[in-house]
Amino acid sequence: MLTRELAIAAYERGRVFPDRLTRIAHARYVGYAERLLEIYRSGIGRTRRDLHRAAEAVFAGEPDCEIRRIRAFQKLLDDASVYEADQGGRTAALRLAVFGKAAAFHPLVARPDRFFENAEAAVKERIARELGRPWGEIEAGLYADVLDFQRLRSFQGYPSPEALLSRYNVAQVQACLYRAERVVVRAAADFKTILRYAKLARLLHDIRRLGPSEYRFEFTGPASILRETRRYGVHFARFVPALLACRDWRLEAAVRTPWGGRARLLLSDRDGLRGHLPPPAEFDSSVEEDFARRFGPERDGWTLLREGEIVHEGQAAFVPDFVLRRRDGAEALLEIVGFWTPEYLARKRDLYRRFRGRRILMAVPVRSIREGAEVPEGVLVYRAVLRPEAVLEALGRRCPSEVPER
Amino acid sequence: MDPATPGSPLPVVLSFDRGTLVLSGLDPGEIRSAFGPALWRWDDRVNAWRSEALHAPRAREILRRRFGARLRDEIPDPPRIAWPVFRLPPLRPDQAAAAAAWRAAEGRGQVIMPTGTGKTEVALALMAESATATLVVAPVRDLMYQWHRRILHGLGVDAGIVGDSLHDVRPVTVTTYDSAYIHAGELGDRFGLLIFDEAHHLPGPSYREAALSSTAPLRLALTATPERADGLHADLDRLVGPVVYRQGLPEAAGSTLADYDVVRIPVALTPREQALYEEAGRVVRRFLLSRREARPGYDGRDLCAESGRDPEARRALRAYHLRRSIEDRASEKLRVLEDLFRIHRGERTIVFAGTNAMALDVSRRFLVPTILSHTRKRERLAVLEGFSAGRFPVLVANRVLDEGVDLPAAKVAVVIGGQASTRQAQQRLGRILRKWGPARAVLYEVVTEETGEEECSRRRRRSDAYARTRHRRL
Repeated sequence: MLTRELAIAAYERGRVFPDRLTRIAHARYVGYAERLLEIYRSGIGRTRRDLHRAAEAVFAGEPDCEIRRIRAFQKLLDDASVYEADQGGRTAALRLAVFGKAAAFHPLVARPDRFFENAEAAVKERIARELGRPWGEIEAGLYADVLDFQRLRSFQGYPSPEALLSRYNVAQVQACLYRAERVVVRAAADFKTILRYAKLARLLHDIRRLGPSEYRFEFTGPASILRETRRYGVHFARFVPALLACRDWRLEAAVRTPWGGRARLLLSDRDGLRGHLPPPAEFDSSVEEDFARRFGPERDGWTLLREGEIVHEGQAAFVPDFVLRRRDGAEALLEIVGFWTPEYLARKRDLYRRFRGRRILMAVPVRSIREGAEVPEGVLVYRAVLRPEAVLEALGRRCPSEVPER
Repeated sequence: MDPATPGSPLPVVLSFDRGTLVLSGLDPGEIRSAFGPALWRWDDRVNAWRSEALHAPRAREILRRRFGARLRDEIPDPPRIAWPVFRLPPLRPDQAAAAAAWRAAEGRGQVIMPTGTGKTEVALALMAESATATLVVAPVRDLMYQWHRRILHGLGVDAGIVGDSLHDVRPVTVTTYDSAYIHAGELGDRFGLLIFDEAHHLPGPSYREAALSSTAPLRLALTATPERADGLHADLDRLVGPVVYRQGLPEAAGSTLADYDVVRIPVALTPREQALYEEAGRVVRRFLLSRREARPGYDGRDLCAESGRDPEARRALRAYHLRRSIEDRASEKLRVLEDLFRIHRGERTIVFAGTNAMALDVSRRFLVPTILSHTRKRERLAVLEGFSAGRFPVLVANRVLDEGVDLPAAKVAVVIGGQASTRQAQQRLGRILRKWGPARAVLYEVVTEETGEEECSRRRRRSDAYARTRHRRL
């Protein structure tokens, strides 16, 4: 991620536009990115300052490139690099040794005279002899641990120039979110991923249902209700790459402008920003996948929709695997337990109890049930495969249709 | 949540949640009658009341009084500290007065004393008698480490460090404003006493979170210069407490602080530097002139803004930076420095450089140690101790040593670069003004002649700390 100072954004009529390099307006940047990657790939052993200067030179003739953009590229390249570290403080030890020896001759003068006879060159020669190394080598190593003078050891890089440009664009969005006070996401898919990553980023949510399979999430931090604060900006920034991997969403963030006003950041899945995270896996387990295939999109008047609804209360939220909807408006939630551990089952049981009112049908494998244990209502036990017929039968019992289909 | 059964009211639960307080079990009427309208906000997200952690002491007291056994207070009590040793010097009368004023204000307030008058000793004494888990917040790593040393030496506790890529929270912990802000939520419920060093940093929009997010009842702010240009220092009252003690600079000079001279030494550029400097100046001027034909008011700010879109503007900006660099690193400064080292041989001397590059130039030329912002803990200690003990005659520092870092035995200071605001200049002076024998301390200011640096020095002399500036050409 970039630092705050490297954020570039344009503010226009109440909106903020993070810096974005596009294929058409910035076609030349693909070439620059290629050269940047080449500088680092072939730059093993060069100092950070050298690499940064070389990177800066790439943009020398480019009319449209402010210095922060160059610095941002340097940062992203450094993030994918490993620099030589000062092992065990050896450089510091060398310094202390040299300065300790030189202290007796202070001050080192350019031209010695009667009172000050310690000539700079002579003292340096003498120290070099004592340390058994040529002075030039000592001087070169004296500050080798200073950030600017560290040498590149390895470069992990980016898969392609386009990948670097794409990372740059995302990094600018993230840097823009450092200034955000709250973030609202409207989404029609991938709720599970959205909620999981928001939780990982330690954000609090407020969930509103906008319609069938459409939700509005407001993300904030604990203190956001007391005052507008930018304190959670970095949490928003951490959350955003996961969102970029999702489908069918719109984001609106309230951002503080540098001069104290407010602006809106608008983003959506149609903006073409690509994060480096893979899209969410379609199914959590093969049992689910298998069930969806057997069921098909519609059967006996019920349509099957994956992760279509959220059940929630306070900060507890749960996205059942499937929603089944019937034409008359009846709706049922289906959660399939495939792979399981005792802790996982216990958690599911708690959720189930907590959201009893929402009438969730839970399908559990027969192996997970202790012998002789009573199967509670609303729990469907399956053997190797979960058959659609069994689910429909259970649904029929729970949602008797008002007008029989057949 | 189970519905309340008649006859047994809900428990009132007060807890800490990442920098805020959360309260459940009370209805709006109960909240209003206990606290008045402003303290708590209903939080739909968690179905409870929420408030700033800052209000914890008041909230706990009121809740305890009104709800007694019904209250479940989940905010941890900070641990008591038994100090393994007590090696603090007795307080001077002014320091004792400051400590007494803070005590009288029930352990909340600001102590304002000039640099070099021993604010740290006041704080350590109050820390010792408070004997509660303490968090010390300092502006920079150097100062954080210095607090660590002082606590270890005076009270025998090896404090935890949060900052400088370390994260070790202990009952006594030292940190920086940056880290205190980043970790405000986590640090908020662990301490009974907060000490804010150089507290004029605290009211900034981010840094204040360290005070807002903490449940600590005891708070002490230390500074020599509380005033901020943005006026936010007024908020210190709410964040820490009122000013309980104030000592001005004139009162301290002469009694606790040494007398001092300021000597200004102009240096000229070498012919080569001069030529480069003028050429760079011409580039900038030509560019500005060409722009002003089209836009009469065009100035440096426009140049910066335009440098992103125009290679020519970028060249002009580079030329401008080159000029600054020539001023900063003028080779004549090294010659002057040699002369000053000759004059003050045997006297501990600090050189303040404006940039890391210049600091390294001086270090390589004279083989004297540096303290830069990235100098690590071990080397930092070795250099500071070596300097105090007289093993190193000279110490070169970047502006990291501007504020509050102890260099007790320094007698001569040389400022060879850097734009200094009045406060920085004052703090710098504070570093060398410590009483040390009968002789007066000297501050040299080496300035490149007829350049921007001179203008800066002139501005600085208008502040009273520099009132007695003399000029000298070596």
